[in-house]
Amino acid sequence: MSHVLHDIEKQIIKLLKSTPNLTEEQLAQETKLSMDQIRRGVEWLRQKNLADVTEISHFTYALGKNGLDAKKNGLPERRLVTLVQNGPKTFDEIRSSLQGLDFNAAIAHAKKNDWINIEKTDTGSMISLKQETTKSSDEYVISLLDIEPVADVFRDEDAKPLKSLMERPDFIIQHEKKTKTVSLSETGKNIDLEKLDSGAIDVEADVPHVHAARIHPLKDTINEIRETFVHLGFSEINGNLSQSSFWNFDALFTPQDHPARELQDTFYLKDLNAKQLATPTQIKNVSNAHKKGWRYYWDIQEARKMVLRTHTTCVTIKHLADKKPDEARIFSLGRVFRNEKLSFKHLAEFNQVEGVVVGKHITLRDLMGIQKEFYRKIGLTKVKFWPTFFPYTEPSLQSMVYNEKLGKWIELFGMGIFRPEVTKPLGITKPVLAWGGGIERIAMLKFGLDDVREFYNNNLSWLRTATKCQ
Amino acid sequence: MPVVELSLSRLQKLVGKNTNKKQILDTLPFLGLDIESLGRNTVRVEYSPNRPDYSTDFGIALGLQGILGISKGILRLNIRKQGNYEIKVDSSTSKVRPFVTGIIARNGSLDDKAVKQIINMQEDLHFGLGRKRKKSSIGVHDLDRISFPLKYTTTSRDHRLVPLNSTKESSISEILRDSEVGRDYGSILGQSAKVPIITDAKGQTISFPPIINAALTTVTTKTKNLLVEVTGIDKQSAEDMLSVVVVILQGAGFQFSQLKVSGSKNSTPNFAPRSIVFDADPVNKILGLNISGSMLVSCLKKCRLGAVMKGKKIQCTIPRYRFDIFGGMDIVEEVALGYGIDNLKPAWPASVHIGEKNATSERLDSISRLMTGLGFMETLNSTLTSEQILYEMTNRDSSQIISVASSKSQEHTILRDLILPGLLENLSKNIHETYPQKFFESGTVFSKGSPIKETTNLACVSASEETNFSEMKSILQSLLRIGFSIKCETKTLSGHALFSQGRVAEITVNKKTVGYIGELDSKVLENFKIRTRVVGFEIKLNGLIFD
Repeated sequence: MSHVLHDIEKQIIKLLKSTPNLTEEQLAQETKLSMDQIRRGVEWLRQKNLADVTEISHFTYALGKNGLDAKKNGLPERRLVTLVQNGPKTFDEIRSSLQGLDFNAAIAHAKKNDWINIEKTDTGSMISLKQETTKSSDEYVISLLDIEPVADVFRDEDAKPLKSLMERPDFIIQHEKKTKTVSLSETGKNIDLEKLDSGAIDVEADVPHVHAARIHPLKDTINEIRETFVHLGFSEINGNLSQSSFWNFDALFTPQDHPARELQDTFYLKDLNAKQLATPTQIKNVSNAHKKGWRYYWDIQEARKMVLRTHTTCVTIKHLADKKPDEARIFSLGRVFRNEKLSFKHLAEFNQVEGVVVGKHITLRDLMGIQKEFYRKIGLTKVKFWPTFFPYTEPSLQSMVYNEKLGKWIELFGMGIFRPEVTKPLGITKPVLAWGGGIERIAMLKFGLDDVREFYNNNLSWLRTATKCQ
Repeated sequence: MPVVELSLSRLQKLVGKNTNKKQILDTLPFLGLDIESLGRNTVRVEYSPNRPDYSTDFGIALGLQGILGISKGILRLNIRKQGNYEIKVDSSTSKVRPFVTGIIARNGSLDDKAVKQIINMQEDLHFGLGRKRKKSSIGVHDLDRISFPLKYTTTSRDHRLVPLNSTKESSISEILRDSEVGRDYGSILGQSAKVPIITDAKGQTISFPPIINAALTTVTTKTKNLLVEVTGIDKQSAEDMLSVVVVILQGAGFQFSQLKVSGSKNSTPNFAPRSIVFDADPVNKILGLNISGSMLVSCLKKCRLGAVMKGKKIQCTIPRYRFDIFGGMDIVEEVALGYGIDNLKPAWPASVHIGEKNATSERLDSISRLMTGLGFMETLNSTLTSEQILYEMTNRDSSQIISVASSKSQEHTILRDLILPGLLENLSKNIHETYPQKFFESGTVFSKGSPIKETTNLACVSASEETNFSEMKSILQSLLRIGFSIKCETKTLSGHALFSQGRVAEITVNKKTVGYIGELDSKVLENFKIRTRVVGFEIKLNGLIFD
């Protein structure tokens, strides 16, 4: 524990050196500090064993409803002796003036004070005055009190009647007030006052947290991935989130009756159809590829239906179809949509990245190498590849990345070579190797989340404190 | 992707040659089968929709045998041409479900597990290849209950039969109305008065495709001989489907006889394999390998394809059930699988490329950096949001709403045209956190165009008791001045649904309106249960800092 003291602590110590025992209120008054500051200072000193704190309870007393009544009209036992002043009376006669609890209390206390005699006769019990009565100790205590709370008005012998009166219902109200008396401990007394004025501060003390304004954690991962693609020599292209079915599905050789195109998987925009689809040649060739490959009537109206893109591949394929590069490394990154029930692992809208390499001499092994390098750059070093299936690539592979924390292999990006059924109709003659996948999944690994929805909850306490774990 | 549950000990037996379970589990992923979960003796694997033969352990065993080198090459299929099995097609079917095909499978035996696998296959074929039975559907029957020749014809909806799993005769209409399959698939038949049926020589109805078989031909574990029929609207798809059933039944030990099909554009199915002849060079080139022709042949055989060297070329024979193979690139994939994906070593391409970010991304990055520097926290919201947040709670006019059809989530039904309502929702969710709270978000917003217009907006809010219009205006002006040397002005605006009267302005740059700024209206804040003062702005970035 540091021996550098806060200014509040110094002021308290100085004061206690001259006046050994002080309450917190007195400290506040003398130092002109707030009660809050004094309480904090005293607590710090206590924790450093520089001050002792003794807590004393103070009681104050006031009359309750029945007490006030007794003060005005006399205690029940007094009222009883007044009734029998001029001769004995039966219980029934007394009851006409003293009812209920008062009656019982009056009898009990009058007997205790030895004021009355009770005789059983044929006509019932008779009460008579035993002797001349003096002011009882209970009456004395009542006379000391009133509606305002008071303390320190009692003599030692008043303790017993006070206790007895407090047992009577609503006669006396007791308040407890605790005061802390602060004194210096032995160590505290030995503190060198001069040293206290050296100007040093407690550099080890705890400080409040401050919140930085930050880039959203998911955006942080998106930015990292974008940078990594650029480092790997890829140039970014972008396109609309809303697309015609033609570019989202037809151009990628997805037949019009394919289950992925159903309403239950894809978001269709209500009553919106694309006016301009593609060039007439593009439309004709795509249509022919479908007729030849899938043997069905290809309907242009179906291709006009507007959807929220289900992948970024629609942007890539349109770019390739329009530009027809002989050699290229491009990537597309952004929001994609699936009509999914939301869960800890599924969102209706999420981010995807996809890179393609176009080139006469590019190979599948090259694509595996690019991908391995990509993972290495974002901190994932154990990577392996498995075969898989994607409708518009052949061959298709998926990459698996080992997660040390979870102790298992996790499926990340997919990859493959665009099918000739996709590229040929669009006039793309060089092989196109594509790779990519969802970004949230990587961000979840980085931020140690197991519920993907957390990224879009925008919970401020999480945004303020989220830290990368990988 | 579809999933099939396999018994490991059964699979071991089917693969043969003392394979152990570990070997099998290690190899499954290299057939493209993802292990979804693993039990003591069971494994659930996900298989690709283009490989319906992997919907059963018979098909998977065939693949494993190849890749493990236990049994390679194409599986010979023996179909006896003799026998009097025939089905004649009536031309009336051409308007409802024109095609039928089938096969006779004999002397096999099906235990419970095999029946389960075959049902799984049937369901998979119906869903995928059959497009929920619309394109094609299968019926499997006990051959010994049937008299040949069969007839594929149509009948009226009051025709009666005892359907599978029932003892009571029902009419077609009743089946369509009262049974689950009837309700699920009845729509395939449309409103047509005539529906397809298959009857035998005795006039007994054996099937009502694509809905249900008759109880008469129910297959049990005692059944030894089968008739498999496939009906559909596409001949090739029906035969594709049948070919998968045949290869699986062959795995289950059945022998086959031809079912002659005749009449009305129909013909007896042809199970002959196809051949593709190709050069080794392009295959090596695309894979980045340099392997010999004989090695390529061996790779293909491991994938249960036939392959021989023909001079410098390779001839690959593809069995009927591998209709997923379209052409050359599919052969490349088969070579890669046979070679072993594990043996393909990642390489690094020699060519040099200089990458760059899109200009829009660059600009949005600058905005994020500046806004955080100005003390604003970035939030991310969906562009697909709810009418409640976007219009109802913000008291805005919803006539230009853009909605999606049949969303599974109430929170995601319409596309946003502004970002601000989302930021108010963010403030609303954080009312228990300490203030001041300052948020910004940049992203796509949508409006009706031809047919739809997408622009990128920036919105920003500051919430605390002390905040005011001037704070927001100075944030806005600093951002545009420091980041993009743009000078913007604020012009008095008579009113705006989101903002308080008298505390709202149009943001203009070179006299053109680019957005709105102001103190948020108290009723709007009340709707979001926000109890503090909020100021904010939203600007359109297209045309301002990028195109």
